[in-house]
Amino acid sequence: MDAKFYKLILLGGAVRFYFVRTPLASLISDRVEFATPLNSQKRMKEGIYLLDQGIDPYSGDLVHETPLVLKALSGLFLNFPQWLPLIYIMLDLLTGALLYNLSVRFVKQKLQKQCLERKNYAKDTEQLQYNDDDNYDIPELVLIAYLFNPLTVLSCIGLTSTVLSNLFLALFLYFLTKGLLLPCIFLLAFETVRSFYPIVLMAPLLLVFARRSFAGGVILSVLFAVACLIIAAASYLVIESWSFLEGTLGFIFYFRDLQPNIGLFWYFFTEMFEHFRTMFLITFQLNATVLYLVPLSLKLRKEPLLLATVLVALMAVFRAYPSLGDVGFYLALLPLWKRCWKYMAHGFVVFTFFLVTLSMMGTLWHLWIYAGSANANFYFGATLAFSTGQIFLITDLLFAHVKREFCLYNGQKIMIDGEEARILLK
Amino acid sequence: MGLLSDPSISTQNKLVDSLAKHVRKVCSGFYVLGVVWLACLALPEFNHGTYLSENALSPGLVYPEIRIDSNRLASQLLEELQRERKEHQSTTPHAWITAKFNEFGLETHTHNYTLRYPFGGGKEYHGKNIYGILRAPRIASTEGIVFTAPYRAPTSVHPDISPSVPLLLAFADFARRKNYWAKDLIFLVTEQEQLGMQAWLEAYHDGDRVMNVSKAYLLPGNLPARAGSLQAALNIEVQDLEIDYVDVKIEGLNGKLPNLDMFNLVQRIMAREGITSGYKQTLRKKRRSNPTVFEKNLRQMLSMLATQSSGVPNGNHGLFHRYRIDALTIAAAKRQTHATLKGNAGSAAVPLLKAIEGIARSLNNLLERFHQSFFFYVIVNNDRYISIGDYMPALVALVACAFFKAYLTWSTLDFELQPAATATASAETQSGSEPDTAVEDGLPYGSVLIYLTAVLLIGYLGNVLPLQQYFLEIPMGAAPLTTSVLSFLTLIGFILPFVVVLPAGGLELLHVGFLLIFGCSLIVIGLLNFALGFFVAVLTVPVVIALETSEKNWNGSMRNLTRLITVLLNPMVVVYLIVLCMSFYQFPELKLDKLLLRAATAAMDASAYGLIDCVIYGNWLYFVVSTVFLPLWILCWTLALSKRREIADYSDNEEAQRRKPKPQPQTKLKTN
Repeated sequence: MDAKFYKLILLGGAVRFYFVRTPLASLISDRVEFATPLNSQKRMKEGIYLLDQGIDPYSGDLVHETPLVLKALSGLFLNFPQWLPLIYIMLDLLTGALLYNLSVRFVKQKLQKQCLERKNYAKDTEQLQYNDDDNYDIPELVLIAYLFNPLTVLSCIGLTSTVLSNLFLALFLYFLTKGLLLPCIFLLAFETVRSFYPIVLMAPLLLVFARRSFAGGVILSVLFAVACLIIAAASYLVIESWSFLEGTLGFIFYFRDLQPNIGLFWYFFTEMFEHFRTMFLITFQLNATVLYLVPLSLKLRKEPLLLATVLVALMAVFRAYPSLGDVGFYLALLPLWKRCWKYMAHGFVVFTFFLVTLSMMGTLWHLWIYAGSANANFYFGATLAFSTGQIFLITDLLFAHVKREFCLYNGQKIMIDGEEARILLK
Repeated sequence: MGLLSDPSISTQNKLVDSLAKHVRKVCSGFYVLGVVWLACLALPEFNHGTYLSENALSPGLVYPEIRIDSNRLASQLLEELQRERKEHQSTTPHAWITAKFNEFGLETHTHNYTLRYPFGGGKEYHGKNIYGILRAPRIASTEGIVFTAPYRAPTSVHPDISPSVPLLLAFADFARRKNYWAKDLIFLVTEQEQLGMQAWLEAYHDGDRVMNVSKAYLLPGNLPARAGSLQAALNIEVQDLEIDYVDVKIEGLNGKLPNLDMFNLVQRIMAREGITSGYKQTLRKKRRSNPTVFEKNLRQMLSMLATQSSGVPNGNHGLFHRYRIDALTIAAAKRQTHATLKGNAGSAAVPLLKAIEGIARSLNNLLERFHQSFFFYVIVNNDRYISIGDYMPALVALVACAFFKAYLTWSTLDFELQPAATATASAETQSGSEPDTAVEDGLPYGSVLIYLTAVLLIGYLGNVLPLQQYFLEIPMGAAPLTTSVLSFLTLIGFILPFVVVLPAGGLELLHVGFLLIFGCSLIVIGLLNFALGFFVAVLTVPVVIALETSEKNWNGSMRNLTRLITVLLNPMVVVYLIVLCMSFYQFPELKLDKLLLRAATAAMDASAYGLIDCVIYGNWLYFVVSTVFLPLWILCWTLALSKRREIADYSDNEEAQRRKPKPQPQTKLKTN
């Protein structure tokens, strides 16, 4: 928490404050890449108004925010709408600050762990080890990556509720590194009831708090279930109806809104025969949740935070209504793994992919929707390429981590018969 | 092992290293491939025959009912109009046209609009369009088709097309008697060329929008009556009732085209009526040389791309495309020869009237908007086309050069920098000067980013500065104003690399950034307007391939040549050269000095027209040139110049350091 931290926070706030007052803000809040049916500000406004009028917000098919958030923000939306952008900016800055603190703590833990294990490391691996400079560099990089990433900035000025999701996720990760169990469980339960997919983050939570004991795991799971129930009950008390479950979780699971977004769902579900819908629904949802959960948890059992990063990233790719704000969030976590970067071979390719596909998305959307000359296939092509780029990035990160672990113990240069050794995955 | 799980521990990839030595060869290969690919598309084996994809159109299914009496009406109206034209030398005979519309029983309205010309202190122009709606008996005015005829006063510099109006009226009179219309028919007579059309379209679609009167340049007003969502439009430009051939014009605003089905429909119906018609049809000349099919196709294709690339519509139809209405112009040329005269003069316009009826009735059959066939195509012949999937690879191959080079430059970046870094470090220890930590810290991302932003800002200024109020109040014409602003910005860009020298590694990083921005913008431009993207790529990619920041594999003459070409590729110079070529072909009799001068004024006018087109019609060309190409050129110029802080600077003693004219400001801009 030095002067630089405050400078960056102020600068990040200034950037957001500048853009939120330009016409760009209203443009972004209508773009499908940022505003999905789940997080759009317009829908939130509608929900709050309906709630205020005593109408069940979920009776229509427009509002998909949980009652708790609607209730919590209703005072703000109804009485001080002009302060809304400022509040969102503050929340986003808070997310940045949390990520900063999280990474400070993370690097400290890493350094401590390294001290214990140093004697096992191979000789020329200083480059791969965390050092004292990282105490300042990594948190700063994380902060910069969050505050000045165009994706998060745009997501914030579009006033999408991804700002809230990011805040809750950052809080969750912060408490996870801090080792505070109850806040962790409650935040996770809240996010799960709100947007379903964060349930996979139970895996890192269990790895942190109940590593050794099976019984502990069971207790935590029960605790989590109870927390979910409490939150659901609290939501029930707000609107006195269970319709919110259908309106939020049901809406996500059954994928009712086929509006195009950057994800992979909409195109398949517009194209497929209706009687295969259930099967594909289950397949796609399994893919987004449990498919990678078990293997990754086994492989990354020593690195719960890396597991969390990867799961958050996979969630951003495979969830039903992804937005670019989610992508911006996990990109901000990448600097934590700065010591793996040496082995990330595709960084540049991924960056180029992102650049090209994001600029093509805007163009093709224009050609499709406004000019009427292109069609859905063009746009889906761009989003598919974007998702492929993200998968490249995630795989690259995982593989770099594996390579780093290996080289840390075996040295960076291994020669077998005068030739450079190659790692085989078997 | 797969692409994602490269098993090598070492971060140096041998394949990349060996490829990096042959970047230029590989890129040149891509370039040649792209150009050859496009040329190959002119071969009959590589393009496809056109076909009607939308079954609802069913052209030629009905027997044309329009008869000789409509032709008689048209010639009678033409005579009346000629008399009117003697009285209205520079205005439109609104009263006569309105009277005729009313006489034929159409719902007639007038539409007033105002243009506030912003330059030179500001002027106001007023205009008036007349339109009549024929309400369809079978639908509740939810859909409509537009038939338009531009009216030109006798004083106009363009060829006389006054017979279009009588033809339109004669058709309106015919159509009014029929009961099968399922879409409202709008008959529209516009004036002042495209301005009238643009104003009418804006009024039709956004007429009820409250606009900021002080900021808008074209005040379209509102329309008293509408006819639902417009499905298609046909613009009629007829020079005489006796016609020789019909030229079908399709290129619209920003290179947009109507659906290929619409073009095919017109072609097919014209063929049925025995009218010679085609895309870019001209008078058939007896040529001595007999070009091959390939040569003809290539010529046709390139001329289409050339028309598209400017983004300026070549007829009133082009403005419809912006509103998602498929439209084209049938421009009929006056009969020059009497040798092929078939019928008598009394029935000369019957085939054309029949064709218009046929088109109208086919469009009337449409169940939904045109969507079946292609929107992105290049016509190589009247009945052959190339679709987007076939021509896009040409552009992709050209753009791939940039990305490929960017990747290789990036992957060899650390490798190349290491010797430089050690040299710097040793120099520092010798001289004890202020340590330059840029290289040790990694690449100077911060300063490069700031440089990029500054350059993009210059381009943005080119877009907004000429329209600022204080500039507009200067009593200066649009042309000198725009040109001076642009030249000033270009000059800044020209000087910038001399003043600002990036820290070590900055140029290489800038090179990568430049290549990425270049590739991205060409792809985006190519998607929006393929012709523009492709031509720009063909012109610029060789320089981009030749650019090199490191000294060692770039010898002096090559470097100077690249610099020279880069200067020639400055957007303003390119505009000037294009205008020069065009004026040379137009006025071959002029002497060189006069020609140069004339081209200079014409180029200035061109830039001003670009700006006016941009603000009134929404043409992107000016925006793209000033906001994308100018910054890219500045970056390219910086790289071609490759001004770097010499290693010698570091190794010199402190005196030399002090004698340097100014301490570089970028050291402050270093990465955090």
